[in-house]
Amino acid sequence: MITIILNEWKALFRNKILLLLSLLFLIGLSIVSWLGIVQNQEQQLQQQAAHEHVRAQWESIDAMNPHGAAHYGSYAFKPITLLSSIDEGVNAVTGNVLRLEGHVQNEMAYSEASQSLSISKFGKLKPALLLQFVIPLLLIFLSFASITSEKELGRLKLLVFQGSSVSRLIFAKSLSVWFYGILLLFITLLFQVLINLNNITPDTWSRTGFIFLGYTLYYLIIATLTTYLSARFKSNTAALTSMLAIWILWTIFLPSIWGNTTSILNPLPTKQQFKTAMKEDRSKGLDGHNPSDKRTEELETKILAQYKVDSLSQLPINFDGLLMQADEDYGNQVWDKHFGRNYSILQKQKQLYQLSGVFNPFASLQNISMGYSGSDMLHHHDFLRQAEDYRRYLIKTLNDKHTYGGSKTGDWNWEAGKDFYLSIKDFDYEMPLTNTISGRYLIDLVFLFLWATVIILVISFTSKKINLL
Amino acid sequence: MRYATIIKSEFRHFVRSPFKVISLVLFIGASIYGLQSGYDLYNKYNKELATISEADKETAQKGLDLYDKKEEGGRADMTQPMWALYYTPSTAVKRPSPLMPFSIGQTQEYGYYMKVTEWSNAFDQDLSEELANPEHIAFGTLDFSFVVLYLMPVLIIILLFNIGGLEKDLGFQKLVEINSMSSSQWLMARFTFYVLLLLLALLLVMLPYAMLTDSLKGNLSGFFTIYLYILVYALIWFVAFYFINLKGKGSSNQALKMVSLWLLVCVVLPGAVHQVASLKYPANYMTEYLDASRDETYDIWYLPQDSIRLKLLELHPELQERTPQNDTIQDSLKIEYPDSPLVNHLMKTTSATVENKLEEKNQFIKSTYIVNPIGFFQNRLNALTSSDYYAYKQFRENIQNFIDKKVYFRLIDTWNQKTVTKERYREYLKAFNTL
Repeated sequence: MITIILNEWKALFRNKILLLLSLLFLIGLSIVSWLGIVQNQEQQLQQQAAHEHVRAQWESIDAMNPHGAAHYGSYAFKPITLLSSIDEGVNAVTGNVLRLEGHVQNEMAYSEASQSLSISKFGKLKPALLLQFVIPLLLIFLSFASITSEKELGRLKLLVFQGSSVSRLIFAKSLSVWFYGILLLFITLLFQVLINLNNITPDTWSRTGFIFLGYTLYYLIIATLTTYLSARFKSNTAALTSMLAIWILWTIFLPSIWGNTTSILNPLPTKQQFKTAMKEDRSKGLDGHNPSDKRTEELETKILAQYKVDSLSQLPINFDGLLMQADEDYGNQVWDKHFGRNYSILQKQKQLYQLSGVFNPFASLQNISMGYSGSDMLHHHDFLRQAEDYRRYLIKTLNDKHTYGGSKTGDWNWEAGKDFYLSIKDFDYEMPLTNTISGRYLIDLVFLFLWATVIILVISFTSKKINLL
Repeated sequence: MRYATIIKSEFRHFVRSPFKVISLVLFIGASIYGLQSGYDLYNKYNKELATISEADKETAQKGLDLYDKKEEGGRADMTQPMWALYYTPSTAVKRPSPLMPFSIGQTQEYGYYMKVTEWSNAFDQDLSEELANPEHIAFGTLDFSFVVLYLMPVLIIILLFNIGGLEKDLGFQKLVEINSMSSSQWLMARFTFYVLLLLLALLLVMLPYAMLTDSLKGNLSGFFTIYLYILVYALIWFVAFYFINLKGKGSSNQALKMVSLWLLVCVVLPGAVHQVASLKYPANYMTEYLDASRDETYDIWYLPQDSIRLKLLELHPELQERTPQNDTIQDSLKIEYPDSPLVNHLMKTTSATVENKLEEKNQFIKSTYIVNPIGFFQNRLNALTSSDYYAYKQFRENIQNFIDKKVYFRLIDTWNQKTVTKERYREYLKAFNTL
């Protein structure tokens, strides 16, 4: 088999047009990778500048009432991950800015896609676009005629008479094309690594490793399937058109159609329904029997009893702060219920989408690529969760200061000083580590393995029946 | 052979090619799927807007009942402009175009209704888009424009890759030239059949949806303009493929060139333009707007009353004649928050700056249409179906118009110490399209 692979490579290298094309393609890939990294870095700088600007505004507060500060609030800017220069996933369509303030959990706003006319349906020309769309097509072009041309020239029969089996021939030809794909993939990732060498953490290595594995398996599926079809069909044309039809089905039709189906099977509420439901739960109580006025009365009675006083003015603390925090705690339950339900629906949609890997390995590749690049919906939710945790920390700290900082109930003019505001820690998003997220994408890897295995088995068991002429 | 005879024989060739027939059927299926997706979205948005309109009407009726004392208003005094305006529902809406089934464009990137208060602004977070799975948006919705712009060329490839190529594969190209007209005319005649077939198929799938949304009555020119763009777009591909086939060396060779061209025009060039646009104009974190809505708004709130009065008179000189003497601004306005007109002015100015920055990027995108024709056709179709950036910019302007009205009503009626009667309240409702 190694001899056949080497012969195929020799034939590939003898083809000057292919060599030139490969060279041009490599240069193109390098430029695309470089541009992706530059664009990523530029966006990171913008994000960093916005973050620092907002933090500086916070730190410049000399004196302010803590509740005033809760309304003043802060902003979380969605960070750009290092590997999103490979695959930007959902980053362009989700918002970039999240307002963090008291009383309310906001939604992200100002997505890049909403800031201009439409440009491209398949996203920016980042390495993922080439790795997912262009290289597989290249592999199809390199292998669709690999066996049919042997048939047309009458060499297939000759090769079999010389002792080579058809399955071995298919595997050898598939592997030679597969190695070519891996070479392109390796160079792309190497380029990423070399330019970002100073910023690469062990976690980035493992994420890159999984990305490499995902693409490697997908290329194996493409190379073996195309070569197999080349062996099954009599003409180059039939092999090429069949494989192109499969490619279009996998990359264009199924992701959109199945994505839409998952939304129909697990529908999200409309924004209006979502907001109305939250508003109702906020005012009437989660169970519909505990309105906010009643909750306030209960808290007041409890606190007066706890401090053994008759009126709020006798309290040594500021009851307003306690009341606001109780309202926040209650609000948080409401947000958790409704936002949680939405996240849960979206998770179900994602899981159902992942199941489409059974009939569409491209879906599995997409999930692995953007998942390990840290730019898929699950990472987006992770960012939202961390930002919301920070909002809760921030508002609780402010409410505690309002309660126990030295003011009395009803004193809304009391102000906390600069030291207090400086002591509030900044929001810092931490990307989840690979070992904590790998379970999410296990199913995608399994499907890719299964696809590769099934095709190999099909080739092994059915190639004997292939017509040699 | 005569031109018409070649077209007829091409029909026979087509019906005897199951692969091509199946491809056409699949394409028609995808077109109907895309049209239905757009139509569903159109209905969903209309239904949602109807619910909102119903709720607004209820609020308006509650306001009217308060004048007749049919409802208990609590501390709400409807004779005061602030309360009367509080009970004036003012939802700015962007109604979906009846042509939406033909392209949903950027619809899913934006909100399409907003409940306006005098503290709102056109870039409010309230205006965030409808809840949707971001991955599905990122992968691209399979709407009709996607089918036409991206899948139609693929169908054309399938229909045409072996036209002229098969004869070259089998080596009887010369025979064709002997038996019929020149090979270029022969190819042209065969291509004509597919042009007619495709355009007829598209018209037939488009017409029912145009009828369902009443576009044929209400927006006939819009419908035919869309069809015209599709026709021009299809012809461009046919012409490009005609030259490939004319110079091609066989079916595989032609298929390779056609697919490469598709990949270049539909994926690589738009992606490259997108990348360069993002490099030149990175995603805006809207810090100017955030500063205005927070720090600069706070600055206005902390202004002394006299400064607010002076700034208000500067902004609305018409108030000058009516400035009550010896009153503080607070007394003359008799309400809290006399600073909303100033905040509105600040936000309007900032929004204009943001819009200008975004427009720079749009101008850049337009300048790249020559290398990104897909972008041109996509944005033209989106514009015709009111689902492009500019349609939503127009919506933001409508929102601003509502805010201006709300702010001005309160300012002028309070300043004039006007008692809001039921009739005046009706005028409010009318101004915000609730009556």
